[in-house]
Amino acid sequence: MMHPRRGLWLVLTALTVAGLTLSACGGGGQPAAQETAAPEQGKVATFIFTQEFDTLNPAYTNQFFSVITHQLWNCWAWDFDDKNTPRPVLVTEMPGLENGGLSQDGKVITMKLRPDLVWSDGEPLTSDDLVFTSEMHTSPKNAVASAYPYDQIETIDAPDSTTVVITFKQPFVSWAGTLWHGILPAHVLRPIFEQDGTLDNAAWNLEPTVGCGPYVFAQWESGSYARFVANDQYWGAKPKIGEIFIRFVPDDASQIAALKAGDGDLGTFIAYPDIPGLQEAGIKIVPAYSGYNEGWYFLLDPELAHPAMLDVRVRQALAMAFDRFSLNEDLLLGLTQPAATYWDNTPYTDPSIQPWPYDPEKAKQLLDEAGWKDTNGDGARDKDGVELVLTYGTVTREVRQDTQAVAQQQLAAVGIKVELSNYDSDIFFATYGEDGPVAKGRVDISEWSDTSYGWPDPDIMYWRCSEIPSDESPAGSNWQYLCDEELDALFTEQATQLDPAARQATFQRISKLMFEKVYWLGLWQDPDQWAIGARLSGVKISGVTPFYSVLEWDLAP
Amino acid sequence: MTRYLARRVLEAIPLLFIISIVLFILMSNMGDPLATMGGRTLTRAADRLRLTRQLGLDKSVPEQYLYWLVGNDWTRVDLDGDGVPETAGTRKGVLRGDLGTSLVNRGRPVWQVIWARLPNTLLLMLTAEIVIIVGSLLIGVYSALHQYSFLDNLITAISFVGYSMPIFFIALLSMYIFSIQFKAWGLPSLPTVGMFDPQVGQTPGQVALHMVLPVFSLSFISFAAYSRYIRSTMLEVLSQDYIRTARAKGLPRRDVVFVHALKNASLPIVTVIGLDLPLLLAGAVVTERIFAWPGMGRLFLDHVSRGDAPVVMGILMLISVAVVFFQIVTDLVYAWLDPRIRYDTGRAQGG
Repeated sequence: MMHPRRGLWLVLTALTVAGLTLSACGGGGQPAAQETAAPEQGKVATFIFTQEFDTLNPAYTNQFFSVITHQLWNCWAWDFDDKNTPRPVLVTEMPGLENGGLSQDGKVITMKLRPDLVWSDGEPLTSDDLVFTSEMHTSPKNAVASAYPYDQIETIDAPDSTTVVITFKQPFVSWAGTLWHGILPAHVLRPIFEQDGTLDNAAWNLEPTVGCGPYVFAQWESGSYARFVANDQYWGAKPKIGEIFIRFVPDDASQIAALKAGDGDLGTFIAYPDIPGLQEAGIKIVPAYSGYNEGWYFLLDPELAHPAMLDVRVRQALAMAFDRFSLNEDLLLGLTQPAATYWDNTPYTDPSIQPWPYDPEKAKQLLDEAGWKDTNGDGARDKDGVELVLTYGTVTREVRQDTQAVAQQQLAAVGIKVELSNYDSDIFFATYGEDGPVAKGRVDISEWSDTSYGWPDPDIMYWRCSEIPSDESPAGSNWQYLCDEELDALFTEQATQLDPAARQATFQRISKLMFEKVYWLGLWQDPDQWAIGARLSGVKISGVTPFYSVLEWDLAP
Repeated sequence: MTRYLARRVLEAIPLLFIISIVLFILMSNMGDPLATMGGRTLTRAADRLRLTRQLGLDKSVPEQYLYWLVGNDWTRVDLDGDGVPETAGTRKGVLRGDLGTSLVNRGRPVWQVIWARLPNTLLLMLTAEIVIIVGSLLIGVYSALHQYSFLDNLITAISFVGYSMPIFFIALLSMYIFSIQFKAWGLPSLPTVGMFDPQVGQTPGQVALHMVLPVFSLSFISFAAYSRYIRSTMLEVLSQDYIRTARAKGLPRRDVVFVHALKNASLPIVTVIGLDLPLLLAGAVVTERIFAWPGMGRLFLDHVSRGDAPVVMGILMLISVAVVFFQIVTDLVYAWLDPRIRYDTGRAQGG
């Protein structure tokens, strides 16, 4: 009979060997097309992503880190340069009124594709692929991330292999910023859709081995890395960098360490306090304006809001009592500046608008005029028995908590008491139906950074009266409960204006109205901060399609 | 013993059912998986309505649990929102080996999502566990044999310094010193993150090199606890009569310590290891995140933050099964090690 202790050692040894064997045999997220040997030749650039893709099928995700890879292995009909100006990629020229690409009523877009487009397997990329892409976005059998804007299309036709004619149900002015964010290969996915009845489980979603970009997907190891290698069949110029290796590093501090140690050539979403250290290490910081501006959103519902918030003089006082200039200097190291309007750094903001100045004395005067005075000597103003105590909520990000602390102090100096609250992101951004604190109108001042839905298109649904959430409309996005008829009319008007100059003028009126009534208060402009390692050269970053210029990038040994 | 084993296994079945129900209820309240599907902007209302229906999130929690457990291929669902459930379900349910598909990695089976990370976790955690056990044994035995010596006091102090530090601090500090500063000083440096250098390729040597810092971080904290425990049990055993007898008989010191003393002192250590083994599957969330090690800990955190209930349930049930399994194994090993322990109809009898 085996000695008990020998048996114990045997059990432990067996478990250890089994574990190590398992780990040696496994370690594969996706079935790798090949072992990960060192590249035989060519340059390998390492990008650091702080979040792993959820999927690579453009129809199934809006995740930033998945979408930005499209300029590597997939393609958009047009992308955007570092000035966020559209530039043709698949089309010969941008559709416009002058070239007949846009109809006078704004409902029909005619696109002419380049005749030399091919997929990475050599199959031609034609108008049929675009039609297929649209159909897959709107098929009820596909659980795509968003059917927009394809659900706005009435008909889409391909009269020949290089022409696509799209007819919208209504004039659709936001087409440039929302259409054709990734193309699906019809010759690969149509048979799958016809066989399975859905694309939800297609292997291509996680291993898109056929693409239309300068690179082609090679491998994706779950939680670890993804590789994209130069596409030999690419119809455009060949990239100078042979392989893009994307490493998933979720921790911000680890990303910084990896960049400093040279274990990564590119990173993004760099926090402002880390910028000086990276620059000292020889890493270049490139800001890319992606339309994001950090700001305060005020609750303005007559029933739910604090009565003080309904008075524009109080909101103006808030703007002047909070020193956002010093905040930008101290907290953000002077690397950005206060945002004046929601559309800062775009042509859609009135150029005459400057941020509200820091003037606490003027703030006190406005509050006095509005009837809010400290009658009981408790340090907080009051009126008709109501104390001026506001709730100020945001997520748990450190920079926002620091901002809260500063604001609380400065607003207290003018007699406005502020109670702070912080939430996890999924709770803070939960909808009315999910009992989100902001959506349900429980927070007087909410802070977050945001941009328009189809940026660089400026349209945003937030401030439409029809978007106010309710039991009947729990998904409404107007969490400020703002209903300004003049503002609503302007938003409606711009949605029909095909003439860019006219639309720009309307948005400038919108930005001015929102500024004067302080419906939204900008804290800082929030560009994406990209860190570019010393080995990379020729890098330009777009706020919409960051890797648009990847063909020009080079890597020193 | 067979009867005992059968009883423990039968008891485990309702226990796992109860665990699954509790976890499922908790999971259904942990967050909104649709909140992040809009990317950097809010998910549009129309998309939210559609996805809620298509992903089965419009069903009540008991209904969702039922489908999770037994599948929905025996019923029909309304995918197109016309109010008519005309599409056959495709899920087989956990009881038939189908853990479902991930809501984040849409369409990917949960078991594939987990299997992709499990070997990485076992590699890291088993290596760390071996280092901890071996290191703690050496430290604990030395400390017991040289109680209150200068080296014993020094080792104890260092161990407690490590024990009192949060792991993220040790991890980041070691990364800063051995990767960044060593490189800056022109010394051979260790890599910061990941499993290998893409310039070199995924070789065993590269993986081993990239494991140094994460294993060090995990081990440094645990040395104190384990080594003190071993020191304590060794001291107790070394004071026993049979050890005095062994010495009196003139046995070599090595035999006295490692054959007679350590083996008797190892019984409590088995308990600790037995409790640790199932938790190895859970990975080390902080360490994996900092060193970008693609393990189960990070998988859990990433999918919890995105409300991916199928994957999180899969991970939690895997760990629950492992805990129950290793509890049984530990009891059996105990009986194996100590002949005085016998299991009858209901109670362990010993001594």
